Parts: sequence; structure tokens; C-alpha cells
Amino acid sequence: MSSDAPAAPSVDAVAAFLYREARLIDEHRYQEWLALWESSDTLYWVPCNEDDIDPRRHVSIIYDDHDRLEQRVERLMSGSVLAQQPLPKMRRIVSNIEPEQVAPDLISVRSNFILATARAGRQELWAGQAVHRLRLRDGSHRIVAKKVLLNNSDQEIPLLQFLI
Amino acid sequence: MATDMRPPLIDYHALVSGGRVHGSLYRDPQVYQRELDQVWHKVWVYLCHESELPLPGDFLRRQIGTQPVLVVRGEDNAIRVFFNRCRHRGNLLCNREHGNADSFRCPYHAWTYAKDGALLEPTFEEGYDNNLSRADFSLTPVPRQDAYRGLIFASVSPAGPSLREHLGQVTEFIDLFMDVSPSGEIDLNSGVQKLRYHGNWKLLPENSLEGDYHGPFIHRFAFEMHSRRTGLNLSSLYENQVPDVIRSLPGGHMVEDYRGASMTPPQRALTPARQAYLAALEARCGKEKARQLTSTTPPLVFVFPNLIYIMTHIRRFQPISVNETYVYYHPMLFKGAPAEINEARLREHEFGFGPAGFISPDDIEIMERNQIGVQARGNDWQHIARGLHRVREMPGGGTAGYTMDENHLRGMWQHYARLMSGQSDGDVQ
Repeated sequence: MSSDAPAAPSVDAVAAFLYREARLIDEHRYQEWLALWESSDTLYWVPCNEDDIDPRRHVSIIYDDHDRLEQRVERLMSGSVLAQQPLPKMRRIVSNIEPEQVAPDLISVRSNFILATARAGRQELWAGQAVHRLRLRDGSHRIVAKKVLLNNSDQEIPLLQFLI
Repeated sequence: MATDMRPPLIDYHALVSGGRVHGSLYRDPQVYQRELDQVWHKVWVYLCHESELPLPGDFLRRQIGTQPVLVVRGEDNAIRVFFNRCRHRGNLLCNREHGNADSFRCPYHAWTYAKDGALLEPTFEEGYDNNLSRADFSLTPVPRQDAYRGLIFASVSPAGPSLREHLGQVTEFIDLFMDVSPSGEIDLNSGVQKLRYHGNWKLLPENSLEGDYHGPFIHRFAFEMHSRRTGLNLSSLYENQVPDVIRSLPGGHMVEDYRGASMTPPQRALTPARQAYLAALEARCGKEKARQLTSTTPPLVFVFPNLIYIMTHIRRFQPISVNETYVYYHPMLFKGAPAEINEARLREHEFGFGPAGFISPDDIEIMERNQIGVQARGNDWQHIARGLHRVREMPGGGTAGYTMDENHLRGMWQHYARLMSGQSDGDVQ
């Protein structure tokens, strides 16, 4: 191993970040969630049908650059989203956290999640894997990219009108 | 004409006349059962576009009413539609949603069929002595299949009008949205967003084609956001005095024809890709036609009973029960257009549509609430009489109304009532 090889990332620090992110989105704290992201050149991606699609040639469920991500948050906060009336009650479990250093200032983290949403007389379960790319800047993590691989991205799914 | 000679138990015409629709048509399981027989298992149902099966051996599964079918492109390049059922013991022959195959082998007893449906190999054939002739056990083709500009339709009924008769005037509007492609051909092979909602299937065409009226209310935020981003002038959505926008066509088809409206497509930056696109369009159809196509907003189209074209995509749907429906959003790309143009179309589609979009999910939520609303039976009618006093009968059949009028909904329901009454096997009076 060369002398400038990056140190193995700390699972604890990464886990704390993912738990906080999960809590912010489960509690609909959209602005605080947006502040976890880098402010440009980001990607929030939920592929459709298969995990490894080419997004230039294949439709996604969500494919947000930073502008689109801001629009998504703006819309969620506007009070106009009918599927958020009333707000869904949401809690997710994040587990199986596997960070990997991919560059001196960049880590890639795989984690699994199970999310239960309750609204309008129904509880729905969502499950899958998230792959975060996090940059360590000024002592804290910033999200560069988040790719969410839904188990059921090739099935007829209910509305996804929240952050996943 | 094959018609059901039994008197219907329900007077369907009475339930859809006078500018109103009865709530039972959205919630009654017996009505739904009859719809399967009188509508879904009788008329031409849209299955897919030929671009979804580019190569020999490409296949995909679809459903017509309750019946699973398999669409396959053969070695001879012909696309065939079979009942997806092994001729031996009725097992589901092909379990995969889509893919490419040399042949289709039933997993149960390994009877194997060629891409053209021929039975290749009944296993342990000697046990059948002489009572099995392979030629008698090919896959069963659906009784009728046909295509228009690559859109493949099939009917599980052997009788009825031809596809061209069924489509009638709606082909003019299919042409309009397809002609915007520089090659004149569309590509539906870029994946499909799949969604389910708790509501009756008829809510979807009703909602999808009356966005002029509900748009300013449930989509205002998304439209304004879209407008800000693209410069698209949506002012005509807030006007209701533009004549001949809302069209009902014979056969239950519906159109929002924006050619006379002030709404123009977004002004797009003249990038090299855009220039190449415009040049190709002009080369194919001439400068004047290209100018017309790119300066008006393409129509919104519903082809009865299950094909919708809206802005970025072809939408098809599948009833599952009286109160559950599956919806499929297939982004419509332009065959032969620069990759950059098609990529932008995908991103524009994702803005509005699918489970996480900014537009159609509000419709889906409305439809789910609609399904709950019509369980209340006091004054059990929906009102679709907007523009009843000023409807214009069109020379070739059908009607025209002003933006926000509901003559197209009335037309769809009249066609529906004729089918449900057994007065029609799908002809387009």
C-alpha cells in the first residue's frame, strides 16, 4: 500500500450521517436535507426497471441534477402536493452500511433501507439499497450523489411523492 | 355483426345521458365483469410499439382484459401476438416480462415453441402414438392483430370492425404527434415507469384528457415551474373561449387539439443538436410543414380504450379490478434524432410523469379520492355537461367544444354505453 493511500473511512461517522439524513427526510425537514448536499454537480437518482441503466437512453423514476432537486424540494414545501395532504408518517431503518474510500476526499457508501409510509388509511413498505457518494469537507460530509435502488423499480408501484 | 342478444340488465344509455354519468359505473363489480366481456375482450386494445421489439426473438408480455398475451418478433421480422398459454396443459408459457429468446420452452413439461408459434418439441412424443399432430398444437394467435404507424393493437374477438375503422379520424392526430419526429418514427424502447392506483380505469382517460379544466387547480404549481424553466406559454390553459380544442371522435376517442390555441411549444435554444433536428425535419416534410409542427403544441390523444399520448410519452393502462388500475408511462423518443434531443426528452418526461413526477401524481391522487367519493350514493351522478349548450357537431362525426368543455367525455361514455348494451361490437357510429 502506498503511503498516500486513504485511511479506511469510519463506519460510525458515516452511519451517524446516514441516520441523520434518514431522520430529516422522514420528518419532512426538506431544507435541512437539501443543506446536506453539495451545492452543484450533484445527482439524486432512482433508476427505473433495472439498477444499471444508462440514464441518457433509459427513463428513470427520479433523475435530479441540483436544479431539479431544488425544484423537488420547493414543490414538496409548497403545500400543493396532493399526496402529501395529509403528510405521510414515515420512518425508515438504515442498515448494512458499507463505506469505501474512492478518492482522498470521497467515499462511496452502500446501505440498505426499509421504509414504512402511512397515509390515507394505508401503510406502504419500500425497500432497497442506497449508494451515497459523500465528500468530506470542513470536517463534515456532503452528499455528491445518492442512487436509490428500489427492490420494486420494475413493478407497478404506488405514488412516490416523498424523498426516498 | 356479433351482438349480445340478451337484454342488458342495466340500461347503460340511461346511466350516461343528459350530461351526466352514474356513480355505479365506477364502483359496481358486475359492471366491471361486463366491461371485460363487452369492452376489453371485444375491441382493439393497444399493446405496444414495434420499436419495443427491435430484433428477431425480442418478446414482451401484455394483457388484454384478463388474458395474458405474448408479443414476439419472428425470424421473418413479423411481429405476432399469441395467447401466452402452453397448448399442453395451459401453463403460462413465458414468465419473463420481456427479453430475447430463440424459442419458448414451457417449464412444466418442456413443450417448446418457435418464435412463429410452431410447436418444435412435445417431449416424450412417442407416448402420444398417433394422436398428436404437431401442426395442430402451435401457439394460438390472438384472433386479430394489426398496427398503425408501428402501434400494435390486438383483439381477442374474431369479429368486429377493422383497426382502421376503429381508429377512424384519430389517425390524423396520431400522425400529428408522430410527425414531430425528424424521421417520422418514434422510439418507445427507453424503459417504462409503472404505477398502480386504487381507482377505476375509466377515471384515467377522463382525467388525462381534461387537463385544461383541472390543470389551473391541481397542476398550477408544476405548470408555473415548468413555464419558468422552459418559457412555455401556458396562458391558454387559463382561457376557456378557444373553440374546437376539445374533440370527441367516433369510436370513443378523445383529443385536445391545440392547433387553434395560443399555446406554443417552449422556445428551445438553437443548439447544434436542435439545428440538426430541425434540418432533418425540414428535409423529410418540407419547411412549411416543419414550421407548423414545431410552432404548435401537439394534441393530447386518447384512443379507446387504453392508449393515451401526452406531451412526452405514450401511456397505456390495464384494469386489474373495478377499483384498481395499472398505468405504464413509455417515454416517446424520436427515432433518428440527435442523442442530446432524446436525452432532453427523457429529463422533461421525468419532470412531469411517473410515480415521482411533478404533474401526473396529483392526478393519481385525485383519482384515488374520486373512487372514494363515488362510494357516496346521495345524488349519485357526475356532471359532465360543460359546453352542452354550444357543442358543435362535426361533419365527419364526433363533436367539437371549447377549451375546458366536456363534449369529449360525453362522447367516450356514449361509445361505452353502446358497447356495454351489446348494440355494438366496436364499430364507430
